[in-house]
Amino acid sequence: MLRQVAISCLLAALALPAAARTRPHYGGTLRVEIEGDPWQRTGGLARRMVLDGLTTIGPDGTVLPALAVRWTSENNDHRWQFWLRSGVHFQNDTALSSAAVEASLTASCGASCPWSAMRAAGSSVVLTADSPMPNLPALLAGDKYLIGFDADPHVGIVGTGPFAATGELNNPGVTRLVANETCWQGRPFLDSVEISSRKSIHDQWLDLSVGRADLVEVPAEQMRQAHDQRLAVVASPLVSLLALTVSDSGALSSPSLRAAIALAVDRGALSNVIFQKQGEIAASLLPAELTGYAFLFSTQRDLNKAHELRGGVAPPALTLAAEGGAAMQLAAQRIALNLRDAGFSVQVVSAGAPQHIDLTLRRLTLESSQPQCALESILRAASLPVPVTEQTPAGLYKVERAIVDTHLLIPLLYLPRAYAVGGRVRDLRLGPDGAPQLAGVALEDAP
Amino acid sequence: MRFLCLLAMLASALLAQLASAAPSPWEQPAAALADQIAGILGPGQARLTMRNLSKISMDEFPAIRSLLEQDLKARGVQTSGAESANSIRVTLSENLRERLWVAEVVEGSETRVAIVHVEAGAAQPEALAGGLALRRQSLLTTTEPVLAALETGDGLVVVGPEEIVVFAHSANGWKEQNRVAIGQRKPLPRDPRSVIVLSPDGLGFEALVAGMACSGSKQPAQPEAQWTVRCRESDDPWQLTQSQRLAASSDHAENAGLTRIRAFFSTARNYFTGVVTPSVGVDLPPFYSAALLPRPDGAGLLINSIDGKVQIAETATLKLGVPTDGSSSVGLKAIAGTRDWGSDFAAFRSGCSTGTQVIASGSGEAFADSLRAYEIPAQEAIPASAPMNMDGTVTALGTAPDGKSVLAVVRRTGSQGHADSYEVDRVTASCN
Repeated sequence: MLRQVAISCLLAALALPAAARTRPHYGGTLRVEIEGDPWQRTGGLARRMVLDGLTTIGPDGTVLPALAVRWTSENNDHRWQFWLRSGVHFQNDTALSSAAVEASLTASCGASCPWSAMRAAGSSVVLTADSPMPNLPALLAGDKYLIGFDADPHVGIVGTGPFAATGELNNPGVTRLVANETCWQGRPFLDSVEISSRKSIHDQWLDLSVGRADLVEVPAEQMRQAHDQRLAVVASPLVSLLALTVSDSGALSSPSLRAAIALAVDRGALSNVIFQKQGEIAASLLPAELTGYAFLFSTQRDLNKAHELRGGVAPPALTLAAEGGAAMQLAAQRIALNLRDAGFSVQVVSAGAPQHIDLTLRRLTLESSQPQCALESILRAASLPVPVTEQTPAGLYKVERAIVDTHLLIPLLYLPRAYAVGGRVRDLRLGPDGAPQLAGVALEDAP
Repeated sequence: MRFLCLLAMLASALLAQLASAAPSPWEQPAAALADQIAGILGPGQARLTMRNLSKISMDEFPAIRSLLEQDLKARGVQTSGAESANSIRVTLSENLRERLWVAEVVEGSETRVAIVHVEAGAAQPEALAGGLALRRQSLLTTTEPVLAALETGDGLVVVGPEEIVVFAHSANGWKEQNRVAIGQRKPLPRDPRSVIVLSPDGLGFEALVAGMACSGSKQPAQPEAQWTVRCRESDDPWQLTQSQRLAASSDHAENAGLTRIRAFFSTARNYFTGVVTPSVGVDLPPFYSAALLPRPDGAGLLINSIDGKVQIAETATLKLGVPTDGSSSVGLKAIAGTRDWGSDFAAFRSGCSTGTQVIASGSGEAFADSLRAYEIPAQEAIPASAPMNMDGTVTALGTAPDGKSVLAVVRRTGSQGHADSYEVDRVTASCN
């Protein structure tokens, strides 16, 4: 009898009208946890949500209008003029102006800007340089050149983006952002976002599992573990380049020694052991997804050739530092072992060590899915300021080949960025650089 | 009989000849790559190896190799030299945006590279769904956002977040005729919506976007005349349905009274507030979509509330031609069988079965939305067709002015090297 009642109840429940998936709801607070600083200049999650660029990059790598509605170049890309969108206001209600853009861009890069001069001209800004800047519209979409200013110490950074900083300090380590009701791109679905910073990955995953967090980070090397734990993982394409930057002074001033180092690193072991096969081994600066010709750069380890290039000479001990967390330190230890196999003496030191550092293991972000711009951003991050003027695949290949052959920047792995999300998060998309685009996110249980 | 066989063989041979005469899409890149290889190698022999890292079908691989060998031979490079010290390694490759063919030309210890760009191939034809057969016909594809669209007698009106674009038929497809800025002063919500319906006289249109109302008209006697489109700020309620005849035999003037139901839209959000005019005699919850359905004793207003429940308001006030005094006893009844529905639906008159069906978007993952037709004879939605994959997210559905088809706006999410694109599809059904 009980069984019949139970079956009847089940059938009745199935027959009842159930709620269907709806359009995204407005409202609610998204709780995000990260390891780093939400306001850091490159990749800072809060900066991305509060500030907009003059341009933005579409999924196909095309440069799209953002705060600038159009732009023109003259004099063989030496002079660029960007016209600003009208009717846009900062979150403190001041109007977007060319003077504000000029001040923001000047503050963003100081003396190391790609341009040599800039001036406000009516509702536009004009940027000029001694060398051509063919990728300037794409570069201006990068984190470094987002438009904003420090309004006052209580609020913090003010921009035109979908969320506004509140400056609330009630909960230490938590940055609270609220929806910008008058955002020129439309009010975001979420009412607010709370970002808990400097949280270890372990704590982030724990909070996600007990419902205290909605979106947490998944480092590439832990993606497999996240899948094993049945976390809902959203991963980007390959948007980071793990690479060694090589000092051309000191022990490695010899190009053949640098070439020997490039040949001695076992990229396959790095990928398989440290990064759990979640990336792709790399010998080119840009992945095949962007160029289609990455296979032209050999990823093979060749210890015999490395020994040959070293020429039997024992160079002085090299110093190797790694920027980043535990996985980067492990990777540095592994590279040191590889180099010892090739006859180099290598000491792993901390990134802030006072002595001269010959090799630095870094994770560089491909800031764009446009290959020219991605290459230029990598070169700038590696302090190799080479303007990339070539626009065809064949031309780009020549530029990339020339840079790789200097062995001042040794590509090792391409890595994705990934996040794990809770059950109430919907419509999360990652940008071209793998950053979460939270303006389009909504909550299933929003009122 | 023998003559007929001979004729058939001749005809098939002729067709094959015609097919082979069609230019191959690979001819141009093969010739360009051969040019570059011959420029590097000069006349002589070389070993040719090829591999395919692209999405080009392996069925096409032999033809591409054959073309390249012919082009190299024409430029003095013989690819049969198995003993040659020179080698050519060709890779059919691609990136997010384009196809590339890459040749690594090895002469002794030196390797030089040639790269050519290849135009992408044609899109694959779409398969039609089965069951009460839903069919879709693509009317327009654009990278500009589309909120709603309307087919007029001789054109297509497309409402975007900031502009209304009128297209006219031409020999080469749609030709843009007018582009008018809507001129909003307030920011749009993140998920902007719009409604566009024929004007009551059937000669123009009325479009509503958050906070704005636009009307379009043209001189009926002048087919080539430009449309006049005027927009103004407006908080007026939005018309819920086209001026259509839902009941098969209800071509009566009084039926038009039904179609004047309007609903207030929350301009800062993406739903109707639930306040409709004239009143349907029952308090409606906030809802995303609404459609009028013929019922045995009148009509019912089907709504999809923002909590995902599909309900119908059946009331005497919705009877055909009866004034809406709101005095009748009414109820809001839940519709079962709508678990798979998304937020958008539209009623249309296929003429099959009960005559009127509802086409609803799916509740699955947004990137693989589907449409499906349902009958709602009582308080349950009964599937009337197989789901039809829309290859994207259905962002709007609207009944055509004749009531016989539905226009769907589909957003294809940008990924794998493509920006977001929007497609306007006409969806019709045929009876089995």
